[in-house]
Amino acid sequence: MSKLQDINPPKLTKGLGSYHPITQTLDHITNILLDYGFNIIDGPEIETEEFNFDMLNIRKSHPARQMHDTFYVNDKSNVLRTHTSPVQIRGMLSQQLPLAMISSGKVYRKDDDATHLPMFHQIEGMYINEGVSFANLKDLIYKIIYSLFGEDIKVRFRPSYFPFTEPSAEVDILSEDGVWLEILGCGIVNPIVLDNCKINSNKYSGLAFGLGIERIAMLKYQVKDIRDFYKSNLDFLSHFK
Amino acid sequence: MKISYKHLSQRILSSPDIDELSERLFHLGHEHEINDQIFDLEITPNRGDCLSVDGLLRDLGLFYDYQENNKIFEKKIDPFEFEFINNVPNQCKKISFLKIVIDEIPDSYKDFMKSYYDDMPNKKNNFFTDVSNYISYETGQPTHCYDSNKLGNYLLLDNVCDGGNFATLLDKDINLIGDDLVFKNKENNIVNLAGVVGGQNTACNIDTKSVIVECAHFNPESIIGKSIKYDISSDAAHKFERNTDSERHEYILRRFLKIIEDHSTIKEAKILNMSFEDTNPIKIPFDCNKLNKILGTNISDKECKNYLTRLGFEIDSNNIEVPSYRNDIKSINDISEEIARSIGYDNINPKTLLVAKERMKDTNNENRLKQLLIDNGFFEVINNPFTHELNENSIKVDNSLDSNKRFLRTSLKNSLTNNLLYNERRQHDSIKLFEISNIYTNALEEEKRLIGIIASGRVDKNYRDFSKKISNNYVKEILESAKINFKKDFIEIPRTSIDSKLKNHISYIEFEIKPELEINYDAQIKDSYEFKKYVPISEFPSSSRDLSFAVKNPSDLIILEDFLLNLDYESLKNIYIFDYYINHKNQEIKIGFRFTFQSSIETIKDTEINNLMDNIVNQCLKIESVSIPGLEE
Repeated sequence: MSKLQDINPPKLTKGLGSYHPITQTLDHITNILLDYGFNIIDGPEIETEEFNFDMLNIRKSHPARQMHDTFYVNDKSNVLRTHTSPVQIRGMLSQQLPLAMISSGKVYRKDDDATHLPMFHQIEGMYINEGVSFANLKDLIYKIIYSLFGEDIKVRFRPSYFPFTEPSAEVDILSEDGVWLEILGCGIVNPIVLDNCKINSNKYSGLAFGLGIERIAMLKYQVKDIRDFYKSNLDFLSHFK
Repeated sequence: MKISYKHLSQRILSSPDIDELSERLFHLGHEHEINDQIFDLEITPNRGDCLSVDGLLRDLGLFYDYQENNKIFEKKIDPFEFEFINNVPNQCKKISFLKIVIDEIPDSYKDFMKSYYDDMPNKKNNFFTDVSNYISYETGQPTHCYDSNKLGNYLLLDNVCDGGNFATLLDKDINLIGDDLVFKNKENNIVNLAGVVGGQNTACNIDTKSVIVECAHFNPESIIGKSIKYDISSDAAHKFERNTDSERHEYILRRFLKIIEDHSTIKEAKILNMSFEDTNPIKIPFDCNKLNKILGTNISDKECKNYLTRLGFEIDSNNIEVPSYRNDIKSINDISEEIARSIGYDNINPKTLLVAKERMKDTNNENRLKQLLIDNGFFEVINNPFTHELNENSIKVDNSLDSNKRFLRTSLKNSLTNNLLYNERRQHDSIKLFEISNIYTNALEEEKRLIGIIASGRVDKNYRDFSKKISNNYVKEILESAKINFKKDFIEIPRTSIDSKLKNHISYIEFEIKPELEINYDAQIKDSYEFKKYVPISEFPSSSRDLSFAVKNPSDLIILEDFLLNLDYESLKNIYIFDYYINHKNQEIKIGFRFTFQSSIETIKDTEINNLMDNIVNQCLKIESVSIPGLEE
């Protein structure tokens, strides 16, 4: 028998924690976009109606502005931002052209059911320069989707409607089950929005896109119930080490 | 919105099959499902003009020749001497009234009406309301029928504030609160919540033979939100909110009259058309170069004009005239979307985009702080900010989802405490969590980015830390190892204050992550993730067993470890070494393993665990110098 004092003790396993799966997904997409040359900008979660709606060409009458869709705070003086687009408004107002920026974080809508939560996460990107076209937008969107889902994935673009882009599109991918799944919304920045931000829309044009992080995380990890992300259950979180 | 395949295809000259039509509708951006030959469409909110058979056919006109209009009442209609007062012309720029008196009420409907009520999920009401509903389905224009004997010869359109109780024709009373656009009768009673639902007091019934049909164009802003506000399902409101065609009233009412004529003898028909605003068609300069620039395409003038013409636009050499039903078209970018839809979004070739900037260097302190905690076994959690707690800095949510959570949190403490308790209830004996979030107070300019760290129970699940309990010092040492100057004290969370009977100390600290916060931690931060497929966790309770071994020969220790740490039972959720020491006096090694079992389909039974443990014990005892102290032979 060898001397006991000479033997190596068992490996000391140190329990590691983990980033939240939503953070992991957000960071993953952010890194893809940083590699393309986008810069990160931040903005507040409590916004004015002007930045959250008016500047984005969302008219006073738009259903999204109703009390049943948007959280208003402090006697309707402000809103909890319903998307990260107002951060881009702040970016357009403060940064020099051309600009390529991404904004991400928590957004809030007055929903709470099996597929919607009152708080969720978005990442949005915008690129403004001379001569930016819908064909350029498609190139970028393909790159993002291929980075996320691989180059074999089938992608389709569908006409859609967002007040702040024109033309607007929604993009689907074909799942293994043969079902088309909506992945993101995008479009050419509406010249009205550029004008609102004092950008000469006759000279410059822009593209914009936005992804819901929970949706991407659910697809990538194959999590079926969106509510699992926010139970703070260690059994669940341990999976994402 | 539901539209029958049959009702579309019978007006398309080539009679395409349902799959082809479905593909065309997707091409045009009209997402849908098909159930029993009915398209259930999600029309985007800017395309109110497509909320009808006529509207969809206009869009499908890009691909097909089709029968544009149905038969209308061609004869002269006498003027209607009706007193209508419009106090809000900015909210209703055009309105028409048609008075119809019929001889008798039909006891059956012609094929097209019969097909509508047989094929579509709509219930019949009374003759005139049934025609009105059919007209809305066919043309997209809602109309409202008043029983003319109940209404009289007068109608006033006005805005009211807090209009009070209103009995709707849906047998539902609503209390009008705030501003509403309403029609009133001579007695100043509300007879119609404009664009949403009519009143019981002037409603038609199965005996009605004399009606006044109202055909209006309302400003969408006057209608939006009303049906939700009063919890009324209204097809009319859905259409008015998305805008209607103000220039088609004469056609709509003549079509209405034609359907009446198809079913009964008309004794009297009179019409009144009123306009409160001149409307001119929108004209947009035709600029094919600009369109190609927006889209990144290279299509010809001719192709461009062909697409637009097929979609109902009129083009002269310089201008595109927008048809009156296309309320969504105002600029060259809107036109570019029409061209893109026509080409097909998937048929536009991508063009390489080079953003052409260098990647920004990551100087994010927050990521290093996160990684420090994760490397020490902490899990990141994310909570929503809504809370019942009110303090002097709280921001109130005016329209909270839950009346018990009407404020935004000003600290992360309670969220994290709840997370800790949740996991303690799930039998976790080592809980280490953190959350980073923005916090807002009434001083909105004082937005703070906070980190909250909570921990309780065992320090770790290994033989060195198994018996150590988490303390404030434990957390403090982790933070100080990265030389973080957090300048905050730990906050006491007494177990009694959270209704917990456990005795473990709860360590909690919260501090602001300021840009100048220094973190001296050489973190290996990932920039991509594997996205390992998630296997749903079991909701059934787990059960643990401990085994302590004595090992005389060190080489047998390696065999024992290798065997146990590589066990592969479906119900074995976790295994780790919780105890290890060398007993020099007895010249043996003592090592303890903890096994945790859990079933994914039921509460795991003791007998099942015992069988597995017996098997494990037997296997281990086959290793020469391994014994289990206290185990009976």
